Amino acid sequence: MPNMTESEVFDKFAQIVAKSLRIDASQIAPDTHLTDLGAESLDLIEITMETETQFHIFLPDKSVLETAVEVFGPGILEKDGYLTEDGKRLLLRRMPEADAQAFAGDVAVKDLQHYFLKVGTWVRMIQGLAQYTPAECAACGGPMVPSMGFRMKCGKCGQEITLRSGEELNREWVREYYDKEYRPQAEAPVSATVVQ
Amino acid sequence: MNAFGNLVHDSFATQARVPDGRPMGPWPESVCCRLDAFPCEPNVLANLILSPGERAHWISMRAVEKRRHEWLLGRCAAKQAVGSLLERDLDLHLPPNEIEIVPDPYGRPLVEYCGAGPWPAAASQAALSIAHSQGTAVALAVLDPGARVGIDLESLTHRRQDFEAIAFSPDERRRLAALPVDLRQEWALRMWCAKEAVGKALGRGLSAGLLAFHITRAEVASGIMEVGLRDGALDQFPQWQAKSLIVYTARESNFVFSATIYQQGAVRMRPSRQEILDYLLQKMGELTEDWDYPDPVRPESRLFTELGFESLDAVVLCTAIQEHYQTPMPFAELLAEIGQQQRDLSIKELADFVNTHLGGPAETGSATRRVQ
Repeated sequence: MPNMTESEVFDKFAQIVAKSLRIDASQIAPDTHLTDLGAESLDLIEITMETETQFHIFLPDKSVLETAVEVFGPGILEKDGYLTEDGKRLLLRRMPEADAQAFAGDVAVKDLQHYFLKVGTWVRMIQGLAQYTPAECAACGGPMVPSMGFRMKCGKCGQEITLRSGEELNREWVREYYDKEYRPQAEAPVSATVVQ
Repeated sequence: MNAFGNLVHDSFATQARVPDGRPMGPWPESVCCRLDAFPCEPNVLANLILSPGERAHWISMRAVEKRRHEWLLGRCAAKQAVGSLLERDLDLHLPPNEIEIVPDPYGRPLVEYCGAGPWPAAASQAALSIAHSQGTAVALAVLDPGARVGIDLESLTHRRQDFEAIAFSPDERRRLAALPVDLRQEWALRMWCAKEAVGKALGRGLSAGLLAFHITRAEVASGIMEVGLRDGALDQFPQWQAKSLIVYTARESNFVFSATIYQQGAVRMRPSRQEILDYLLQKMGELTEDWDYPDPVRPESRLFTELGFESLDAVVLCTAIQEHYQTPMPFAELLAEIGQQQRDLSIKELADFVNTHLGGPAETGSATRRVQ
């Protein structure tokens, strides 16, 4: 469903959360944290699975920061539990909607986990991933329907596609950011010492 | 009586006896506490047991009641566990509102003291883990600077759709599939709990991804599991390459529990440079006690010209240092080198040398650099 608006995604996601946590959907707002609604770790897994099924997407199993740390190597984006300036730059670039104020001063990794558990953060992530799920078959234009696993199948000609994984997409984004934005700036003579 | 006075009856807070009275793991030095209900009205309890900082957090929490209550229950269990531990091991009797539990930057709970009295450094070395689910909270604490602890619990009655596809790798699912059907749900939860306990003990939770923690062994008879790390988790903790953490799991009525305790690196924590210097000054004081030496021993005091050391005294000192730190150090080379250069050695320089050989950060520009 690539063409859903943010508010449509929100409404549908709020229904999933409400059903899983057995609460009223009216309690859920974009700035609500899933844990504040009483979600435990396995509830988050249930919400993840249900979201994947209903939106036909493949959610990442770790935050974009974790993936970025794996790509960049240790100590560059995060050090001793706090974001470095490079880490803040990457996240702000990735999440332009995030309040820049939230990245002022010391930002601990635990505070980010809190941010990643915001309903609004999920909604934007779902909307972003849904862009990669085609509504129509590329070959014949027929309607795509869910198939086994993370696959979709054309209802008309039967052609199957595999959904893009959220983690893979995160990794691609991070690699591109690293090559095109981080490295040129890190290798510039003036800032080279700052990076080290 | 316990750290809560009469507030928490021992039937609620069972010390050192997890789930149903059996010990969770082979750790007599640990204290575990479980709470299934509030001992009194939650707001009254909050006023009694929380530190000022924690109380501010409690008041500002915007969460639903279930979440707030479980947070408070978790704090209550944690303070009970830490309080009992300090009482048992250090004979320290502290009211719960002077024990403050503060998350580190990654969210792992640290034990701090916020009272006015003296606070032995050993008390800050308590390692703690807290878990709560469906109205029950548990906490596990141990007083050991090198230890890391992790505990988790999940309720079997909390209905969920099948989560195995996302939480477990094909290998782990095969392991589950091999179990009798009536054990599968419980063991899926035990395996999940084991991963959570490991994530908590290491201090980063499951942030590296659910499949970065891998169950490599599960013994149905004992409940013992082994968890190995891979991918992102191994990037974070390379010392766990090709090793597994042992996790104890247990089921009691509707709950599944897991706990792990491990020693990070050597059992001992590496002493700080200042601690080494303090030890050396104290040791030198002892050695030179009967000597006819007018001034007190200072960090700048030089062994041979000032303190009148002879080579045999140096050997006695070096042997004592190596025994104290249980680490061999190349003192012979050090002494040979200063002999060659015909110079003396101050206590401070000796401390730097010991610090470097215990793996501490080298002081730039100090003599230890050359001695290496």
